[in-house]
Amino acid sequence: MKILKLPKNKLDFFASVVQQFGEVHAPVEQNGQFAFQPVRRWSEVRLDYNRTILPPKKYFLPPRETLLQYAGDAGYVPVMEGLDKKIVLFGVHACDVYGLNLLDLVFAGAYRDPYYQARRRNAAIIGIECTPDEHCFCRSMRADFVEQGFDLFLFDIGDYYFTLVGTALGDDMVLATGPLFEPVSHQDVEEYKRRSARKREAFRLHVEIRDLPEIFEMEYSSDIWQGLGERCLSCGSCSMVCPTCYCYEVADEVQLGSREGPRARTWDSCLFATHALVAGGENFRKTRPSRVKFRFYHKQRGFVAEYGRPGCVGCGRCIVACPVKIDVVEVLNQLRSVQNVASR
Amino acid sequence: MTGCAGDQLVMLNCEDQLLDVVAALDIRDFLMASSGNDEECPLDVALVEGAVLTRRDEEKLNRVRERAKLLVAVGTCAVWGGVAAMDGGRDGDRARLLAETYGPTGAAYDSTPARALHEVVKVDFNISGCPIEKEQFISALSHLLNGNAPLFPQYPVCTECKMRENNCLLIEKGEVCCGPLTVAGCNARCPALNIACVGCRGPADDANTTSALAMFGEKGIPRDDIVRKLRTFAPMEGPGV
Ligand code: SF4
Ligand code: SF4
Ligand code: SF4
Ligand code: SF4
Repeated sequence: MKILKLPKNKLDFFASVVQQFGEVHAPVEQNGQFAFQPVRRWSEVRLDYNRTILPPKKYFLPPRETLLQYAGDAGYVPVMEGLDKKIVLFGVHACDVYGLNLLDLVFAGAYRDPYYQARRRNAAIIGIECTPDEHCFCRSMRADFVEQGFDLFLFDIGDYYFTLVGTALGDDMVLATGPLFEPVSHQDVEEYKRRSARKREAFRLHVEIRDLPEIFEMEYSSDIWQGLGERCLSCGSCSMVCPTCYCYEVADEVQLGSREGPRARTWDSCLFATHALVAGGENFRKTRPSRVKFRFYHKQRGFVAEYGRPGCVGCGRCIVACPVKIDVVEVLNQLRSVQNVASR
Repeated sequence: MTGCAGDQLVMLNCEDQLLDVVAALDIRDFLMASSGNDEECPLDVALVEGAVLTRRDEEKLNRVRERAKLLVAVGTCAVWGGVAAMDGGRDGDRARLLAETYGPTGAAYDSTPARALHEVVKVDFNISGCPIEKEQFISALSHLLNGNAPLFPQYPVCTECKMRENNCLLIEKGEVCCGPLTVAGCNARCPALNIACVGCRGPADDANTTSALAMFGEKGIPRDDIVRKLRTFAPMEGPGV
Protein backbone atom coordinates (compact mmCIF):
# COMPACT_ATOMS: atom_id res chain seq x y z
CA MET A 1 0.00 0.00 0.00
CA LYS A 2 1.23 3.42 -0.96
CA ILE A 3 1.63 5.83 1.96
CA LEU A 4 1.98 9.58 1.49
CA LYS A 5 1.26 12.74 3.42
CA LEU A 6 -0.93 15.72 2.67
CA PRO A 7 -0.23 19.15 4.19
CA LYS A 8 -3.19 20.05 6.37
CA ASN A 9 -3.32 23.63 5.17
CA LYS A 10 -3.87 22.34 1.63
CA LEU A 11 -6.88 20.27 2.52
CA ASP A 12 -9.38 22.65 0.95
CA PHE A 13 -7.37 22.66 -2.24
CA PHE A 14 -7.32 18.89 -2.20
CA ALA A 15 -11.10 18.87 -1.68
CA SER A 16 -11.57 21.15 -4.66
CA VAL A 17 -9.50 18.79 -6.80
CA VAL A 18 -11.46 15.69 -5.82
CA GLN A 19 -14.62 17.37 -7.04
CA GLN A 20 -13.67 16.19 -10.52
CA PHE A 21 -14.21 12.63 -9.27
CA GLY A 22 -17.80 13.28 -8.23
CA GLU A 23 -20.09 15.42 -6.11
CA VAL A 24 -18.39 15.79 -2.76
CA HIS A 25 -20.39 14.84 0.34
CA ALA A 26 -18.99 15.36 3.81
CA PRO A 27 -20.15 15.69 7.43
CA VAL A 28 -21.66 19.07 8.26
CA GLU A 29 -23.23 20.24 11.48
CA GLN A 30 -26.98 20.04 11.89
CA ASN A 31 -28.24 21.57 15.14
CA GLY A 32 -25.47 20.06 17.21
CA GLN A 33 -25.48 16.71 15.42
CA PHE A 34 -23.83 15.82 12.14
CA ALA A 35 -24.99 14.56 8.77
CA PHE A 36 -23.36 13.72 5.46
CA GLN A 37 -24.51 16.40 3.03
CA PRO A 38 -23.42 17.69 -0.35
CA VAL A 39 -20.70 20.25 0.36
CA ARG A 40 -21.55 23.81 -0.62
CA ARG A 41 -18.62 25.50 1.11
CA TRP A 42 -15.61 23.62 2.36
CA SER A 43 -15.59 25.80 5.50
CA GLU A 44 -18.82 24.17 6.73
CA VAL A 45 -17.32 20.68 6.63
CA ARG A 46 -16.69 19.29 10.10
CA LEU A 47 -14.01 16.63 9.90
CA ASP A 48 -13.91 16.66 13.71
CA TYR A 49 -17.45 15.20 13.88
CA ASN A 50 -18.21 12.35 16.25
CA ARG A 51 -20.86 10.48 14.25
CA THR A 52 -23.47 11.35 11.66
CA ILE A 53 -27.15 10.73 12.46
CA LEU A 54 -27.40 8.32 9.52
CA PRO A 55 -24.40 6.29 8.37
CA PRO A 56 -23.19 6.39 4.74
CA LYS A 57 -25.45 3.42 4.02
CA LYS A 58 -28.05 6.02 3.04
CA TYR A 59 -26.10 6.59 -0.17
CA PHE A 60 -26.10 2.96 -1.22
CA LEU A 61 -29.35 1.68 0.24
CA PRO A 62 -31.49 4.82 0.44
CA PRO A 63 -34.41 4.89 2.91
CA ARG A 64 -36.82 4.78 -0.02
CA GLU A 65 -36.22 3.98 -3.66
CA THR A 66 -38.13 2.86 -6.72
CA LEU A 67 -36.79 -0.44 -8.02
CA LEU A 68 -38.91 -0.89 -11.11
CA GLN A 69 -42.06 0.06 -12.93
CA TYR A 70 -44.54 -2.64 -13.67
CA ALA A 71 -47.19 -2.48 -16.37
CA GLY A 72 -49.31 -5.18 -18.04
CA ASP A 73 -47.65 -5.72 -21.40
CA ALA A 74 -44.42 -3.87 -20.78
CA GLY A 75 -43.77 -6.17 -17.84
CA TYR A 76 -41.14 -5.02 -15.41
CA VAL A 77 -38.84 -2.17 -16.30
CA PRO A 78 -36.00 -1.58 -13.84
CA VAL A 79 -35.54 2.03 -12.79
CA MET A 80 -31.83 2.68 -13.00
CA GLU A 81 -31.82 6.46 -13.30
CA GLY A 82 -29.37 8.25 -11.10
CA LEU A 83 -27.49 5.10 -10.15
CA ASP A 84 -24.46 6.17 -12.17
CA LYS A 85 -24.08 9.49 -10.39
CA LYS A 86 -20.52 9.90 -9.18
CA ILE A 87 -20.05 10.94 -5.58
CA VAL A 88 -17.08 11.31 -3.26
CA LEU A 89 -17.74 10.63 0.42
CA PHE A 90 -15.16 12.71 2.22
CA GLY A 91 -14.39 12.01 5.86
CA VAL A 92 -15.80 8.54 6.51
CA HIS A 93 -14.77 6.99 9.83
CA ALA A 94 -13.21 3.52 9.93
CA CYS A 95 -16.29 1.97 11.56
CA ASP A 96 -18.48 3.24 8.74
CA VAL A 97 -16.09 1.99 6.07
CA TYR A 98 -16.21 -1.34 7.88
CA GLY A 99 -20.00 -1.09 7.90
CA LEU A 100 -20.02 -0.67 4.13
CA ASN A 101 -17.68 -3.63 3.79
CA LEU A 102 -20.22 -5.67 5.75
CA LEU A 103 -23.07 -4.46 3.54
CA ASP A 104 -20.98 -5.58 0.56
CA LEU A 105 -21.02 -9.10 1.96
CA VAL A 106 -24.81 -8.95 1.95
CA PHE A 107 -25.55 -7.05 -1.26
CA ALA A 108 -22.58 -7.97 -3.38
CA GLY A 109 -22.09 -11.55 -2.25
CA ALA A 110 -24.31 -14.54 -3.00
CA TYR A 111 -27.32 -12.30 -3.66
CA ARG A 112 -26.25 -9.47 -5.87
CA ASP A 113 -28.21 -6.27 -5.69
CA PRO A 114 -27.69 -4.28 -8.89
CA TYR A 115 -28.94 -1.03 -7.34
CA TYR A 116 -26.61 -1.22 -4.37
CA GLN A 117 -23.71 -2.35 -6.51
CA ALA A 118 -24.11 0.39 -9.08
CA ARG A 119 -24.12 3.07 -6.40
CA ARG A 120 -21.16 1.49 -4.70
CA ARG A 121 -19.20 1.44 -7.96
CA ASN A 122 -19.82 5.13 -8.45
CA ALA A 123 -18.79 6.34 -5.04
CA ALA A 124 -15.27 7.16 -3.95
CA ILE A 125 -14.49 6.96 -0.25
CA ILE A 126 -12.01 9.11 1.59
CA GLY A 127 -11.68 7.91 5.15
CA ILE A 128 -10.56 9.91 8.13
CA GLU A 129 -9.21 8.92 11.52
CA CYS A 130 -11.31 9.90 14.56
CA THR A 131 -11.25 10.10 18.33
CA PRO A 132 -13.60 7.77 20.22
CA ASP A 133 -16.27 9.38 22.40
CA GLU A 134 -18.27 7.88 25.25
CA HIS A 135 -20.42 5.75 22.93
CA CYS A 136 -17.75 4.34 20.60
CA PHE A 137 -16.67 0.71 20.87
CA CYS A 138 -15.50 0.01 17.32
CA ARG A 139 -12.20 -1.31 18.65
CA SER A 140 -14.01 -4.11 20.47
CA MET A 141 -15.75 -4.93 17.20
CA ARG A 142 -12.42 -4.91 15.30
CA ALA A 143 -13.70 -1.99 13.22
CA ASP A 144 -11.39 0.75 14.46
CA PHE A 145 -9.07 0.21 11.54
CA VAL A 146 -9.83 -0.89 8.00
CA GLU A 147 -7.48 -2.42 5.47
CA GLN A 148 -9.85 -1.98 2.55
CA GLY A 149 -13.03 -0.31 1.47
CA PHE A 150 -11.55 3.16 0.99
CA ASP A 151 -9.77 4.93 -1.83
CA LEU A 152 -7.80 7.17 0.51
CA PHE A 153 -7.63 7.20 4.29
CA LEU A 154 -6.33 10.22 6.19
CA PHE A 155 -4.71 10.15 9.63
CA ASP A 156 -3.99 13.38 11.48
CA ILE A 157 -0.30 13.55 12.39
CA GLY A 158 -0.07 17.24 13.27
CA ASP A 159 0.67 19.42 10.29
CA TYR A 160 -0.04 16.65 7.82
CA TYR A 161 -2.50 13.94 7.05
CA PHE A 162 -0.74 10.62 6.87
CA THR A 163 -2.49 9.12 3.84
CA LEU A 164 -3.08 5.50 2.92
CA VAL A 165 -3.78 5.02 -0.76
CA GLY A 166 -6.22 2.12 -0.96
CA THR A 167 -7.11 1.87 -4.64
CA ALA A 168 -6.13 2.93 -8.14
CA LEU A 169 -8.85 5.55 -7.92
CA GLY A 170 -7.24 6.88 -4.78
CA ASP A 171 -3.98 7.03 -6.64
CA ASP A 172 -5.66 8.96 -9.45
CA MET A 173 -6.85 11.48 -6.91
CA VAL A 174 -3.35 11.88 -5.60
CA LEU A 175 -1.97 12.33 -9.11
CA ALA A 176 -4.70 14.84 -9.98
CA THR A 177 -3.39 17.13 -7.27
CA GLY A 178 0.01 17.44 -8.89
CA PRO A 179 2.85 17.62 -6.38
CA LEU A 180 0.58 18.17 -3.36
CA PHE A 181 1.25 14.88 -1.60
CA GLU A 182 4.71 14.31 -0.14
CA PRO A 183 6.61 11.17 0.78
CA VAL A 184 6.51 10.25 4.47
CA SER A 185 9.57 10.36 6.66
CA HIS A 186 10.60 8.05 9.45
CA GLN A 187 9.46 10.74 11.87
CA ASP A 188 6.00 10.78 10.34
CA VAL A 189 5.76 7.04 10.78
CA GLU A 190 6.75 7.39 14.42
CA GLU A 191 4.14 10.10 14.91
CA TYR A 192 1.50 7.91 13.25
CA LYS A 193 2.36 5.04 15.60
CA ARG A 194 2.30 7.31 18.63
CA ARG A 195 -1.16 8.63 17.77
CA SER A 196 -2.46 5.22 16.89
CA ALA A 197 -1.40 3.93 20.32
CA ARG A 198 -2.98 6.94 22.00
CA LYS A 199 -6.23 6.29 20.20
CA ARG A 200 -6.28 2.70 21.42
CA GLU A 201 -6.05 3.99 24.98
CA ALA A 202 -8.88 6.44 24.44
CA PHE A 203 -11.66 3.87 24.22
CA ARG A 204 -13.91 3.97 27.24
CA LEU A 205 -16.26 1.15 26.22
CA HIS A 206 -15.15 -2.42 25.88
CA VAL A 207 -16.88 -5.59 24.84
CA GLU A 208 -15.23 -8.98 24.57
CA ILE A 209 -16.50 -10.65 21.41
CA ARG A 210 -14.63 -13.95 21.62
CA ASP A 211 -17.12 -16.78 22.31
CA LEU A 212 -19.93 -14.22 22.32
CA PRO A 213 -21.99 -16.25 19.82
CA GLU A 214 -21.66 -19.24 22.13
CA ILE A 215 -22.74 -17.18 25.11
CA PHE A 216 -25.73 -16.02 23.11
CA GLU A 217 -26.54 -19.64 22.45
CA MET A 218 -26.39 -20.42 26.17
CA GLU A 219 -28.41 -17.38 27.20
CA TYR A 220 -31.27 -17.90 24.79
CA SER A 221 -33.73 -18.05 27.68
CA SER A 222 -32.14 -15.29 29.74
CA ASP A 223 -34.47 -12.89 31.55
CA ILE A 224 -32.59 -10.04 29.91
CA TRP A 225 -34.70 -10.37 26.76
CA GLN A 226 -37.99 -10.06 28.60
CA GLY A 227 -36.86 -6.88 30.33
CA LEU A 228 -35.56 -5.31 27.11
CA GLY A 229 -38.77 -6.24 25.33
CA GLU A 230 -40.84 -4.49 27.93
CA ARG A 231 -38.77 -1.34 27.53
CA CYS A 232 -38.43 -1.21 23.75
CA LEU A 233 -40.88 1.10 22.00
CA SER A 234 -40.46 -0.59 18.60
CA CYS A 235 -39.74 2.89 17.31
CA GLY A 236 -37.28 1.55 14.75
CA SER A 237 -34.69 4.24 15.40
CA CYS A 238 -31.87 1.82 16.19
CA SER A 239 -32.30 0.00 12.90
CA MET A 240 -32.59 3.12 10.81
CA VAL A 241 -29.35 4.58 12.16
CA CYS A 242 -27.38 1.33 12.14
CA PRO A 243 -24.72 1.04 9.42
CA THR A 244 -25.26 -2.71 9.21
CA CYS A 245 -29.06 -2.97 9.47
CA TYR A 246 -30.10 -3.77 5.94
CA CYS A 247 -33.65 -5.10 6.22
CA TYR A 248 -36.03 -3.65 3.72
CA GLU A 249 -39.56 -4.07 2.58
CA VAL A 250 -40.71 -4.18 -1.02
CA ALA A 251 -44.21 -3.10 -1.95
CA ASP A 252 -46.07 -2.22 -5.12
CA GLU A 253 -47.74 1.11 -5.45
CA VAL A 254 -50.37 1.46 -8.13
CA GLN A 255 -51.29 4.41 -10.27
CA LEU A 256 -54.86 5.52 -9.82
CA GLY A 257 -57.25 3.81 -12.22
CA SER A 258 -54.63 1.50 -13.67
CA ARG A 259 -52.90 -1.77 -13.01
CA GLU A 260 -49.43 -0.37 -13.26
CA GLY A 261 -47.10 1.54 -11.00
CA PRO A 262 -43.79 1.56 -9.20
CA ARG A 263 -42.33 -1.13 -6.98
CA ALA A 264 -40.65 0.56 -4.06
CA ARG A 265 -38.13 -0.53 -1.49
CA THR A 266 -38.21 0.99 2.02
CA TRP A 267 -36.06 0.41 5.09
CA ASP A 268 -37.63 -1.99 7.54
CA SER A 269 -36.77 -3.21 11.02
CA CYS A 270 -37.02 -6.50 12.85
CA LEU A 271 -38.34 -4.55 15.84
CA PHE A 272 -41.65 -3.97 14.05
CA ALA A 273 -44.57 -6.25 14.75
CA THR A 274 -45.14 -6.53 10.99
CA HIS A 275 -41.59 -7.70 10.22
CA ALA A 276 -42.23 -11.41 10.65
CA LEU A 277 -45.92 -11.28 9.79
CA VAL A 278 -46.79 -13.49 6.84
CA ALA A 279 -49.87 -14.16 4.72
CA GLY A 280 -52.55 -15.89 6.73
CA GLY A 281 -51.81 -13.79 9.77
CA GLU A 282 -49.05 -15.97 11.24
CA ASN A 283 -46.35 -13.97 13.00
CA PHE A 284 -43.05 -15.63 13.79
CA ARG A 285 -42.02 -12.96 16.26
CA LYS A 286 -45.23 -11.76 17.75
CA THR A 287 -43.88 -10.56 21.08
CA ARG A 288 -41.63 -7.57 21.56
CA PRO A 289 -39.05 -9.46 23.65
CA SER A 290 -38.65 -11.98 20.85
CA ARG A 291 -38.03 -9.16 18.40
CA VAL A 292 -35.46 -7.30 20.52
CA LYS A 293 -33.75 -10.60 21.10
CA PHE A 294 -33.73 -11.29 17.39
CA ARG A 295 -31.96 -8.02 16.62
CA PHE A 296 -29.17 -8.90 19.03
CA TYR A 297 -28.98 -12.49 17.85
CA HIS A 298 -28.79 -11.55 14.22
CA LYS A 299 -25.91 -9.17 14.81
CA GLN A 300 -23.90 -11.10 17.36
CA ARG A 301 -24.62 -14.68 16.42
CA GLY A 302 -26.38 -15.14 13.07
CA PHE A 303 -24.09 -12.77 11.24
CA VAL A 304 -21.03 -14.42 12.74
CA ALA A 305 -22.24 -17.83 11.59
CA GLU A 306 -22.85 -16.50 8.08
CA TYR A 307 -19.93 -14.13 7.56
CA GLY A 308 -17.44 -14.91 10.31
CA ARG A 309 -17.73 -11.63 12.23
CA PRO A 310 -20.40 -9.73 14.16
CA GLY A 311 -22.85 -7.55 12.25
CA CYS A 312 -22.05 -4.58 14.44
CA VAL A 313 -19.25 -2.07 13.98
CA GLY A 314 -19.46 -0.41 17.39
CA CYS A 315 -20.40 3.02 16.06
CA GLY A 316 -22.64 3.73 19.05
CA ARG A 317 -25.46 5.18 16.94
CA CYS A 318 -28.14 2.89 18.33
CA ILE A 319 -27.10 3.86 21.86
CA VAL A 320 -27.52 7.53 21.06
CA ALA A 321 -30.79 7.07 19.16
CA CYS A 322 -32.74 4.86 21.58
CA PRO A 323 -35.39 6.84 23.49
CA VAL A 324 -35.45 4.28 26.31
CA LYS A 325 -31.67 3.94 26.54
CA ILE A 326 -31.30 0.38 25.41
CA ASP A 327 -27.53 0.16 25.22
CA VAL A 328 -25.90 -2.59 23.18
CA VAL A 329 -22.67 -2.50 25.19
CA GLU A 330 -24.56 -2.78 28.45
CA VAL A 331 -26.61 -5.68 27.11
CA LEU A 332 -23.59 -7.60 25.81
CA ASN A 333 -21.67 -7.08 29.01
CA GLN A 334 -24.65 -8.06 31.12
CA LEU A 335 -25.12 -11.19 29.09
CA ARG A 336 -21.48 -12.09 29.56
CA SER A 337 -21.32 -11.38 33.26
CA VAL A 338 -21.85 -14.10 35.81
CA GLN A 339 -25.19 -13.73 37.51
CA ASN A 340 -26.24 -14.93 40.90
CA VAL A 341 -28.09 -18.18 40.23
CA ALA A 342 -30.40 -17.71 43.19
CA SER A 343 -31.61 -14.40 41.82
CA ARG A 344 -32.57 -15.79 38.41
CA MET B 1 -70.19 12.72 10.63
CA THR B 2 -69.11 15.53 12.93
CA GLY B 3 -65.70 16.95 12.14
CA CYS B 4 -63.90 19.93 10.68
CA ALA B 5 -64.13 18.69 7.07
CA GLY B 6 -60.34 18.91 6.85
CA ASP B 7 -60.09 15.49 5.27
CA GLN B 8 -62.60 16.40 2.59
CA LEU B 9 -60.49 19.46 1.91
CA VAL B 10 -57.42 17.28 1.52
CA MET B 11 -59.31 15.15 -1.00
CA LEU B 12 -60.32 18.23 -2.96
CA ASN B 13 -56.78 19.56 -2.69
CA CYS B 14 -55.36 16.60 -4.61
CA GLU B 15 -55.23 18.97 -7.55
CA ASP B 16 -52.77 17.04 -9.67
CA GLN B 17 -54.80 13.86 -9.39
CA LEU B 18 -58.30 15.29 -9.24
CA LEU B 19 -59.10 14.61 -12.89
CA ASP B 20 -57.88 11.03 -12.49
CA VAL B 21 -60.00 10.64 -9.38
CA VAL B 22 -63.11 11.87 -11.18
CA ALA B 23 -62.34 9.60 -14.13
CA ALA B 24 -61.79 6.55 -11.96
CA LEU B 25 -64.74 7.03 -9.61
CA ASP B 26 -68.42 7.55 -10.07
CA ILE B 27 -69.04 10.00 -7.23
CA ARG B 28 -72.64 9.73 -6.05
CA ASP B 29 -72.81 11.46 -2.72
CA PHE B 30 -70.23 14.05 -1.69
CA LEU B 31 -71.84 17.18 -0.32
CA MET B 32 -68.72 19.32 -0.32
CA ALA B 33 -67.88 18.49 -3.92
CA SER B 34 -71.19 18.31 -5.69
CA SER B 35 -74.73 19.67 -5.50
CA GLY B 36 -76.66 16.79 -7.05
CA ASN B 37 -76.27 14.02 -4.52
CA ASP B 38 -78.09 10.73 -4.20
CA GLU B 39 -78.43 9.97 -0.51
CA GLU B 40 -80.02 6.56 -0.95
CA CYS B 41 -78.14 4.70 -3.71
CA PRO B 42 -76.03 1.65 -2.92
CA LEU B 43 -72.30 2.35 -2.80
CA ASP B 44 -69.19 0.31 -3.53
CA VAL B 45 -67.09 2.40 -1.22
CA ALA B 46 -68.13 4.88 1.43
CA LEU B 47 -65.46 7.25 2.70
CA VAL B 48 -66.63 8.55 6.04
CA GLU B 49 -65.09 11.50 7.85
CA GLY B 50 -65.72 12.73 11.39
CA ALA B 51 -66.68 11.17 14.69
CA VAL B 52 -70.13 10.12 15.84
CA LEU B 53 -71.30 12.91 18.14
CA THR B 54 -75.05 12.90 17.81
CA ARG B 55 -77.92 10.45 17.47
CA ARG B 56 -78.36 11.83 13.97
CA ASP B 57 -74.72 10.95 13.17
CA GLU B 58 -75.33 7.45 14.42
CA GLU B 59 -78.45 6.93 12.31
CA LYS B 60 -76.73 8.31 9.26
CA LEU B 61 -73.68 6.12 9.78
CA ASN B 62 -75.82 3.02 10.16
CA ARG B 63 -77.57 3.93 6.93
CA VAL B 64 -74.24 4.44 5.12
CA ARG B 65 -73.06 1.09 6.38
CA GLU B 66 -76.16 -0.58 4.94
CA ARG B 67 -75.58 1.13 1.59
CA ALA B 68 -71.87 0.46 1.25
CA LYS B 69 -69.90 -2.65 0.38
CA LEU B 70 -66.80 -1.12 1.90
CA LEU B 71 -66.71 1.49 4.60
CA VAL B 72 -63.49 3.42 5.02
CA ALA B 73 -62.91 5.63 8.06
CA VAL B 74 -61.14 8.78 6.91
CA GLY B 75 -59.20 10.95 9.34
CA THR B 76 -58.27 10.61 12.99
CA CYS B 77 -61.78 11.55 14.19
CA ALA B 78 -63.36 8.73 12.22
CA VAL B 79 -60.62 6.25 13.09
CA TRP B 80 -60.03 7.11 16.74
CA GLY B 81 -62.63 9.63 17.84
CA GLY B 82 -60.20 12.51 17.43
CA VAL B 83 -60.25 15.72 19.41
CA ALA B 84 -63.98 15.36 20.05
CA ALA B 85 -63.31 12.17 21.98
CA MET B 86 -60.34 13.79 23.72
CA ASP B 87 -59.46 12.14 26.96
CA GLY B 88 -62.23 9.60 26.43
CA GLY B 89 -64.75 11.84 28.17
CA ARG B 90 -62.79 11.49 31.39
CA ASP B 91 -62.95 15.22 32.04
CA GLY B 92 -66.53 14.99 33.20
CA ASP B 93 -69.91 13.65 32.34
CA ARG B 94 -71.84 14.70 29.25
CA ALA B 95 -74.63 16.54 31.05
CA ARG B 96 -72.19 18.79 32.89
CA LEU B 97 -70.14 19.47 29.74
CA LEU B 98 -73.32 20.34 27.85
CA ALA B 99 -74.52 22.67 30.58
CA GLU B 100 -71.15 24.37 30.76
CA THR B 101 -70.99 24.85 27.02
CA TYR B 102 -74.56 25.66 26.01
CA GLY B 103 -76.38 26.49 29.23
CA PRO B 104 -79.78 24.83 29.78
CA THR B 105 -80.50 22.56 26.78
CA GLY B 106 -83.34 20.18 27.60
CA ALA B 107 -83.52 16.44 26.99
CA ALA B 108 -84.11 16.72 23.26
CA TYR B 109 -80.72 18.23 22.66
CA ASP B 110 -78.85 15.90 20.31
CA SER B 111 -75.44 15.24 21.78
CA THR B 112 -73.81 11.93 22.62
CA PRO B 113 -70.31 11.08 23.87
CA ALA B 114 -67.96 11.12 20.90
CA ARG B 115 -67.28 7.77 19.30
CA ALA B 116 -65.06 6.57 16.51
CA LEU B 117 -66.83 4.87 13.62
CA HIS B 118 -65.68 1.41 14.65
CA GLU B 119 -67.55 1.81 17.93
CA VAL B 120 -70.79 2.07 15.99
CA VAL B 121 -70.42 0.03 12.80
CA LYS B 122 -68.02 -2.37 11.16
CA VAL B 123 -65.19 -0.45 9.50
CA ASP B 124 -63.31 -2.13 6.67
CA PHE B 125 -60.34 0.15 6.46
CA ASN B 126 -58.75 3.17 8.11
CA ILE B 127 -56.96 6.18 6.70
CA SER B 128 -55.74 8.05 9.73
CA GLY B 129 -54.38 11.58 10.02
CA CYS B 130 -55.44 15.03 11.14
CA PRO B 131 -55.88 15.71 8.36
CA ILE B 132 -55.14 12.65 6.21
CA GLU B 133 -52.16 12.61 3.84
CA LYS B 134 -52.91 13.14 0.16
CA GLU B 135 -50.58 10.34 -0.82
CA GLN B 136 -52.26 7.84 1.47
CA PHE B 137 -55.68 8.87 0.23
CA ILE B 138 -54.77 8.46 -3.44
CA SER B 139 -52.91 5.26 -2.70
CA ALA B 140 -55.90 3.86 -0.82
CA LEU B 141 -58.26 4.67 -3.69
CA SER B 142 -55.89 3.19 -6.25
CA HIS B 143 -55.51 -0.06 -4.36
CA LEU B 144 -59.20 -0.33 -3.47
CA LEU B 145 -60.14 0.11 -7.15
CA ASN B 146 -58.03 -2.98 -7.89
CA GLY B 147 -59.64 -4.87 -5.07
CA ASN B 148 -56.60 -4.71 -2.80
CA ALA B 149 -56.26 -3.41 0.70
CA PRO B 150 -53.81 -0.53 0.79
CA LEU B 151 -50.60 -1.11 2.71
CA PHE B 152 -49.74 1.68 5.10
CA PRO B 153 -46.85 1.70 7.55
CA GLN B 154 -47.78 0.50 11.01
CA TYR B 155 -44.56 1.63 12.62
CA PRO B 156 -44.11 4.89 14.55
CA VAL B 157 -43.23 8.40 13.32
CA CYS B 158 -39.64 7.97 14.65
CA THR B 159 -38.84 5.60 11.81
CA GLU B 160 -39.69 8.17 9.15
CA CYS B 161 -38.05 10.85 11.28
CA LYS B 162 -34.78 8.93 11.21
CA MET B 163 -35.14 8.19 7.50
CA ARG B 164 -35.16 11.97 7.01
CA GLU B 165 -32.17 12.30 9.30
CA ASN B 166 -33.90 14.83 11.56
CA ASN B 167 -32.49 15.88 14.88
CA CYS B 168 -34.35 14.13 17.70
CA LEU B 169 -36.33 16.60 19.81
CA LEU B 170 -37.05 14.02 22.48
CA ILE B 171 -33.50 12.85 23.02
CA GLU B 172 -31.57 16.02 22.26
CA LYS B 173 -33.91 18.57 23.80
CA GLY B 174 -36.02 16.51 26.18
CA GLU B 175 -39.23 17.65 24.52
CA VAL B 176 -42.41 15.63 24.81
CA CYS B 177 -42.46 14.16 21.35
CA CYS B 178 -45.21 11.61 20.67
CA GLY B 179 -43.31 10.22 17.68
CA PRO B 180 -42.44 6.88 19.29
CA LEU B 181 -46.14 6.13 19.91
CA THR B 182 -47.73 7.66 16.83
CA VAL B 183 -48.32 5.89 13.55
CA ALA B 184 -46.11 6.99 10.65
CA GLY B 185 -47.33 8.13 7.27
CA CYS B 186 -46.79 11.90 7.53
CA ASN B 187 -43.06 11.54 6.84
CA ALA B 188 -42.39 13.05 10.27
CA ARG B 189 -43.70 16.39 9.12
CA CYS B 190 -43.47 18.17 12.47
CA PRO B 191 -40.04 17.04 13.75
CA ALA B 192 -38.68 17.93 10.30
CA LEU B 193 -39.80 21.49 11.12
CA ASN B 194 -38.36 21.31 14.62
CA ILE B 195 -41.75 20.84 16.25
CA ALA B 196 -42.45 17.87 18.48
CA CYS B 197 -45.06 15.40 17.25
CA VAL B 198 -48.40 15.80 19.01
CA GLY B 199 -49.68 12.46 17.82
CA CYS B 200 -52.30 13.74 15.40
CA ARG B 201 -52.30 10.52 13.37
CA GLY B 202 -53.24 8.38 16.34
CA PRO B 203 -51.30 5.55 17.98
CA ALA B 204 -49.06 3.12 16.13
CA ASP B 205 -50.37 -0.41 16.03
CA ASP B 206 -47.85 -1.67 18.50
CA ALA B 207 -47.35 1.42 20.68
CA ASN B 208 -45.67 0.56 23.98
CA THR B 209 -47.43 3.17 26.09
CA THR B 210 -46.39 1.71 29.42
CA SER B 211 -42.72 2.01 28.65
CA ALA B 212 -43.12 5.45 27.05
CA LEU B 213 -44.91 6.75 30.14
CA ALA B 214 -42.07 5.48 32.30
CA MET B 215 -39.54 7.13 29.97
CA PHE B 216 -41.29 10.51 30.13
CA GLY B 217 -41.61 10.08 33.88
CA GLU B 218 -37.84 9.67 34.15
CA LYS B 219 -37.48 12.93 32.30
CA GLY B 220 -39.50 14.55 35.04
CA ILE B 221 -42.64 15.16 33.04
CA PRO B 222 -45.77 14.60 35.14
CA ARG B 223 -47.68 11.50 34.14
CA ASP B 224 -50.98 13.35 33.83
CA ASP B 225 -49.52 15.80 31.34
CA ILE B 226 -48.36 12.97 29.14
CA VAL B 227 -51.55 10.99 29.39
CA ARG B 228 -53.58 14.06 28.51
CA LYS B 229 -51.33 14.80 25.58
CA LEU B 230 -51.56 11.26 24.30
CA ARG B 231 -55.33 11.33 24.57
CA THR B 232 -55.72 14.54 22.61
CA PHE B 233 -56.37 12.68 19.38
CA ALA B 234 -57.24 9.23 20.55
CA PRO B 235 -58.50 7.50 23.65
CA MET B 236 -56.39 4.49 24.54
CA GLU B 237 -58.53 1.78 22.96
CA GLY B 238 -57.71 1.04 19.36
CA PRO B 239 -60.00 0.57 16.38
CA GLY B 240 -58.56 -2.86 15.76
CA VAL B 241 -58.59 -2.59 11.96
S1 SF4 C 1 -25.73 -2.24 16.44
FE1 SF4 C 1 -25.49 -0.11 17.17
S2 SF4 C 1 -23.30 0.14 17.60
FE2 SF4 C 1 -23.54 -1.72 16.36
S3 SF4 C 1 -23.26 -1.00 14.26
FE3 SF4 C 1 -25.46 -0.93 14.66
S4 SF4 C 1 -25.86 1.16 15.37
FE4 SF4 C 1 -23.63 0.83 15.50
S1 SF4 D 1 -34.30 2.51 19.38
FE1 SF4 D 1 -34.67 1.53 21.36
S2 SF4 D 1 -36.90 1.70 21.67
FE2 SF4 D 1 -36.50 2.11 19.50
S3 SF4 D 1 -36.76 0.11 18.51
FE3 SF4 D 1 -34.57 0.33 19.00
S4 SF4 D 1 -34.32 -0.66 20.99
FE4 SF4 D 1 -36.51 -0.29 20.72
S1 SF4 E 1 -38.01 13.80 17.11
FE1 SF4 E 1 -39.77 12.64 17.84
S2 SF4 E 1 -40.41 11.47 16.06
FE2 SF4 E 1 -38.32 12.14 15.65
S3 SF4 E 1 -37.02 10.43 16.35
FE3 SF4 E 1 -37.21 11.91 18.06
S4 SF4 E 1 -38.94 11.11 19.26
FE4 SF4 E 1 -39.06 10.15 17.26
S1 SF4 F 1 -45.41 14.50 13.12
FE1 SF4 F 1 -47.02 13.92 14.56
S2 SF4 F 1 -48.29 15.74 14.84
FE2 SF4 F 1 -47.03 16.08 13.01
S3 SF4 F 1 -48.33 15.39 11.28
FE3 SF4 F 1 -47.08 13.63 11.92
S4 SF4 F 1 -48.37 12.53 13.40
FE4 SF4 F 1 -49.22 14.61 13.19
